[in-house]
This record gives sequence, structure tokens and C-alpha cells, in this order.
Amino acid sequence: MFDVGAATLARAAWSKRQLLEVMVDFWSNHLNVTNPSDNVWDNRHDYDRNVIRAFALGRYEDMLLASARHPAMLRYLNNAESTKGSPNENYGRELLELHSVGVEAGYTEEMMRDSALVMTGFSVDWSTGAFVYRPQWHHKQAVQILDWSSANATADGGYDVGREYVRYLANHPSTARRIATKLCERFVADVPPPTLVDALTQTYLDSGTAIAPVLRELFGSSEFEASLGEKVRRPMQDVIATMRILGIQPDSKGTRGLRSLYWMIESLGDAPLAWVQPNGYPDTADAWRSAGGMLGTWNATMSLVAHWWPKELRRPPLRDLLPPRLPNTHGKLVDTLARRLVFRTLPTEHKDAVLQFLGKNADSPLTKDSDAVKWRLASLVALILSSPYHKIR
Amino acid sequence: MNETTTVPPTDQAADCGCPEGGVLTRRTFLKAAAATGALTVASEAYATRYAFAAEPYAGDVFVVLSLRGGFDGLQAIVPASDPHYLDWRPNVGIPTSQLLQLDPTFGMHPAMAELKPLYDSGDLGIVHAVGQAEPNRSHFEAMEEMERAAPGTSLRTGWIDRVIGGRTDGTPFQAVQVGNSMPAHSFTGPSPELAMWSVESFGLDAAWDEEQRDLWDHALRKLYLGAPPSLSAPAQVALQALDTTADLQEEGYVPANGAVYPNTDLGRALRDVARLIKADVGLQVACVDYGDWDMHAGMGNVDGGWMADHLGELSGALAAFHTDLGTKNQDVTLVTLTEFGRRIEENGSGGTDHGYGQVVLMLGGGVNGGQVHGDWPGLAANDLIDGDLNGTTDYRLVLAEILEKRCGSGTLTDVFPGIGSDRLDLVQTKPT
Repeated sequence: MFDVGAATLARAAWSKRQLLEVMVDFWSNHLNVTNPSDNVWDNRHDYDRNVIRAFALGRYEDMLLASARHPAMLRYLNNAESTKGSPNENYGRELLELHSVGVEAGYTEEMMRDSALVMTGFSVDWSTGAFVYRPQWHHKQAVQILDWSSANATADGGYDVGREYVRYLANHPSTARRIATKLCERFVADVPPPTLVDALTQTYLDSGTAIAPVLRELFGSSEFEASLGEKVRRPMQDVIATMRILGIQPDSKGTRGLRSLYWMIESLGDAPLAWVQPNGYPDTADAWRSAGGMLGTWNATMSLVAHWWPKELRRPPLRDLLPPRLPNTHGKLVDTLARRLVFRTLPTEHKDAVLQFLGKNADSPLTKDSDAVKWRLASLVALILSSPYHKIR
Repeated sequence: MNETTTVPPTDQAADCGCPEGGVLTRRTFLKAAAATGALTVASEAYATRYAFAAEPYAGDVFVVLSLRGGFDGLQAIVPASDPHYLDWRPNVGIPTSQLLQLDPTFGMHPAMAELKPLYDSGDLGIVHAVGQAEPNRSHFEAMEEMERAAPGTSLRTGWIDRVIGGRTDGTPFQAVQVGNSMPAHSFTGPSPELAMWSVESFGLDAAWDEEQRDLWDHALRKLYLGAPPSLSAPAQVALQALDTTADLQEEGYVPANGAVYPNTDLGRALRDVARLIKADVGLQVACVDYGDWDMHAGMGNVDGGWMADHLGELSGALAAFHTDLGTKNQDVTLVTLTEFGRRIEENGSGGTDHGYGQVVLMLGGGVNGGQVHGDWPGLAANDLIDGDLNGTTDYRLVLAEILEKRCGSGTLTDVFPGIGSDRLDLVQTKPT
């Protein structure tokens, strides 16, 4: 269970399949099963592999079906113990509210109860920890949820009825809209552009819940192109971006450095998979607006840049961030570093702030012995990576 | 903090309108920047929130001490007169003869002796058989529900966030978690909070001396000008808070009235809370965690062991906090909360398992102390809920009464949905 979090972090930092990792993060939050959590210690890794990763770039219908019969989800949201005599509504509610159509679809409380009843019997074998369908626990009686209904007449047929219901939800236009909106929130802007949401909703429905065509359309859109600099990085994204820019590499042996890194990100409130409520980490800047968090990422940045901690991770020399032949003024040094670190030069007033930090002006000559490329290089790199230019993506 | 630190002479003076010669501190810089209007643009939201509050907060500082892991209140505040208590706990139970008698029904574990005088003087009060709306015996879920404090709703914020959200006045220190860099989930939501390991450690690691601190402070302030408010606002608050903690670090801290805190995480955290209270930095709500109460095995007995040690540390820290605050106790109310109490019947490993009804301790000048409040449900087999002490008082009623009578909160229906109007007369109304 604890290894799943560390492995997720390692892949986010070092995997070559970055889009896959971003989508794993997206779906892990969408179908959140908090990790670590005391009722999923034996199966959370399997959920990660066979529900989230298996379908992260596949069809949402398949992922939702897989989650609906996975012991991790069934225990996490208490469906495992939900019976016709004593139904637990937790899963039935979140299946509608979080996993599919959302409250805006306008289902009634009675439909929400039916949602819980139709899923009774989807449970976990206490001795093996595997999924089991228990017909004797299934509530058999006609159900109606939004415009889906079923006679649901037999206990043995309950499994197929439940699957049919989940399939219906995955293909519902409101589900399409929610997922399109959340994808825009993830990749484009905190307030998603309505035209793009409309387009992605349609693509999702046309493609039978396949995600790849939706992403392809998103990344080809003018809204995506125009969105550069619109999103604020979450703390983990901030740290990972810093690591990738600095070229920080894994432990040469063991995982001590990785575990420290997990702890660093956990202390920033953003440990992967660890959001405690079923709705997953928020993905908008306002939710992450925190002075303590800001100070925390500034300190994490300096620690990584200066290679104070985690020591076991390998960091290439900072001098490698600069061309072999140094620029000849401090002004050009700041430009060169900014281009390397935040992919742009800074506007005059901010460039001046960095130069003041060095106690120099733009024309001050730079030599290989200047403080700025010697003992103050780490501070200089950390300052630029602590600026808003790095916090925005 | 040194008011006349000289930074290396550069072109700063020309830039910020500082006195010639580059004599500059954070404060003179701030004044200069404010005069030129440089700081006003991006940070309006926080500026109105923090800098120009019409009336400062005049309520009690509300300190929430979370006893994580499931605090066994039946070992701490023992129902001595209940004939079933020692039947359920033949090995770990506290014998009546060794209890510090509180009233005809209850006695205190002898390891809590340091708290007994506070109970006698009326600053320590107890509420027994407190519970959440429904028993929940999972640590994660029960803690989450306790800190959300909105059962039966789909609210995703924490109760402290909702309390703070209803107030317009405040400083960066209005809601603080001490002893942890992560705020408790009771802070979850849009209202700002600060989480810090300690006052001493709250600093910019890159700034190892006064000169570096000034350099970083200037540079970061300027770099965040013009940034989106979601970045510039917390940056400004962080820098403001750093300014305050730098001053506090410089001043140092010696607890008053000879108070001696235990040299533990809990002792240090409560010492910092007292320090922030006395420094008048605008603290309104402070949270501290004290964990490791999950005593499934080997909790010890009256003579010693895990529980006795933990109760001793807890009592010593609370007593020191009370001593240190002195007359400030009139403006502070502390409560302890835990996610659940523990099973009445001891298990085969000399411990107790997850249960339901719990105990709340209340400390402060406004507490109706010297009493054990609440509706005692009894420990006979048919008084129990699935083998556990019943929770007859909703813990939110305790919080609500303190917020209303001590912290100037108005209607609490948004903070605690469906809370109702029952109150237990746990605290006195704060004089205005």
C-alpha cells in the first residue's frame, strides 16, 4: 500500500510515458480510493494496475465497470457490506455524484437509493479478498434511475443488471460532460472554455467513451494552444517539474531518496493517491492557495536545487544548466538561466529583481569566478524556480 | 530584528526610493513599496482581509487538541461508581481506590494529577459520553467525518474553514496548525490557514542570515507583483508571516510563571501556541495533534505503561500551557477531540479496540469547570452500542457552544448543518 504511493511518485518523476502518468493521476482522483487507507491495504496496488492503469487511455466504460467490481472500491465506499436488508448508500451515491453523471443530472433521492439497491450483492469474499457477487444480498425489485429502468426481478440476475446500470451511466451525456469539463480543468483552465467542453462531450459520446480521441481533440484545440500560463501547478507538479528541469535522477540503489521525496510531497499536502475524501484532489488554483504551502514549495525547491535533501537522489552539477561558454554579463546570465529554467526571459522589472538579488545590474560583467556562477548559483536557480513563472504551466 | 541592516550597495535605492546608501530593511522596503502603490494591485483580496480589518477579533483563541488514534476516555475519566467498569476491564481497569475523585460518579486516572488542581479551581471541565452522529470505527473515516463535522451532507470542507470563512477580520495567523506542516482536515476549504512545524522552524531555508533574508524577501515580493491572485496572495501572506516569525525568533521565548513544558512534540507545540497567543499576532483558531492513542495491546495498568505515560505527558503539557498563559486564560478555550472512544471490554492483549463514546476535556478561563458534563448512559450490556459506550452528546454541540459564547460566532447552521439548539451550559458567555 505504501509502495503504491512511492511507485506512483517515481513514475511521475521518471517515466517516459508522461501522458499516461498524467491520466493515471486524473483517473485516480476521479475514481478516488484513498491510499493509504486501512480498508484497502491488501488490494490498492491491484486497483492501481487493473482498474486505473489498464484503462487510463482506454474506454471509460471499461474502467467504471472494473471499478464497480473491484474489492478496493467496494470496501472503500462500503458496498461490500451493503445488503438488501441493510443497504449502505455510500457507493450508490458516489457512483452517481462523483463517478458519473453528477448532481447536475437531477436525479432524485429515491433514484439515489435505487442506485444503492441495484448494486447490492457486489461484494468481497472475506476469506480471499476477491470480488464476489452475493445473490442472496441482492435487492430484487424494479428500479428507475434517470431514464434507465430495470425489472430487476431475480437475485441471480442482479449482477448483469448492475453491470447494465454502470454501462448506462458511463455512456450518459451528463457523464460525458463532466469528464470533458474535468479534462479541460486539468489541461486548459480552471474555468473551462464552454465551446471546448461541448466539443469534447460530443467526441466522448461518439467514440463510445474512448478517451484517446477526446484527448487528441483537446490537444489539437485552439483553446489548449491558448492556455499556456493559465494553470497553476499543484505542489507535487511543482516539485516534479523542478526535478525534471534539474535532471534529478533516482537513488543509485535502494529507495531511501524516493521515500524522502514522498515525505517531502506529503508534507506539502499533495502525496499521490492520498486525498482522503472520495472526490479526489481538487485541481483548481484556489483550492491550493495557501501561504504555508507556498513557503513549503519554496523550501522544497531550494532543498532540491542545493541538493540538501533528499541526498540519495542524484543531481547533476548546476553548472551544467549553463552553456560551457558563459554569457559575459549578469543580465545575459539571468536571461540564459530563465530560458533554461522557465522557458522564457523575464520582463524587465522581474529581471531587475533577480539582478538586485545578485547585487548587480544588467551590464555588470560576468566571469567564471563571479559569485553568481559560484556560491550563489544555487540561490539564483532556486529564486527563478520559486518565481510565479515556474508555478504556472 | 535588526532595523539597520546594510545590504550591499547596489542600485536598490534608485529603484525603491530608499534612503541613499542602501540602508534597507524589510520594513522600510514595505513602507516604500506601499507608498508607491506597488503592493496593492495583485493582493487586494488579502489586503482587505488582513490589513484593514475594521475591528480586530475579540473572541477567545480556540485551541483544538486532536488526540489521534482513539483516546480511551474510560481509562482517563473513569466511571468509578459504575459497577460494570471493572467487570469489563479486570486487568487494565483503574481501581477505584487509586482514582482522583472528581464527583460521586467519576474519578481521574492518577497519572493526570497535574490536571486535578485545574479541575478543582474550575478551569478544567469534562464532557463524557460524547460521540459523532453515528459510530464509525475506521480511523480514517471517523477522523475525516469528525473534521468535516457535517454528517448527512455532501459538504467537502472542514468545520474550522467554515468558521473562519464567516469572519471578515484576520491576519495570516488567524488559523494555524502547529506541530505539523500539514493542516488538519478541519481546515480544508477556501479560507487561508498557516501550518507550521514550529515558530522556530517557520523560515525560508534558503535565507540563512539576516542579509539573505532581506535579499530573498525583496526579490520574492517583486517577482510576485502582477502574478495571478491565487499566487500573489499566498506569497504575500507567507512573506508577511515570515516577517513576524523572524521577529519572534529574534525575541526568543521564555514561558511565564515558571511553566515547564514536557520536552516533547506536544509540549513544544503548546508552548508555541501560547507564544503566538501572547505575541498578539491575531491568532483565532489553533490546532495541535497528539497521536499514538491506538492502544490495542499492552496499554499498561494503573501503575504504569503506555496509557499512564501518555496521560502524564498530556496532563503535564496542558498544565504548563495553563500556567504559562496566566491571566490570558480568560481569552483562551482549549478542547480535546478524538475520532472515537474505545470498546468497554478489554481485549486479550491487554488493550482496548475501537469503540464509540469518548471524552472531551475543556480548559480555559471561561469553562464551567469542576464538573463532568454530559448524559451518562451506563455500562450495563444493554446500555452499550455494539459493545461500546454510547455517544449521548454530539461533539459538535460542545464546539458550537464555545463558538457562540466565547468566540462571537453568530448562527452556526452553515458551520454545523442541522446542529439544533440544545446546549449543555459548558462555558460562560464571554463578557464584551
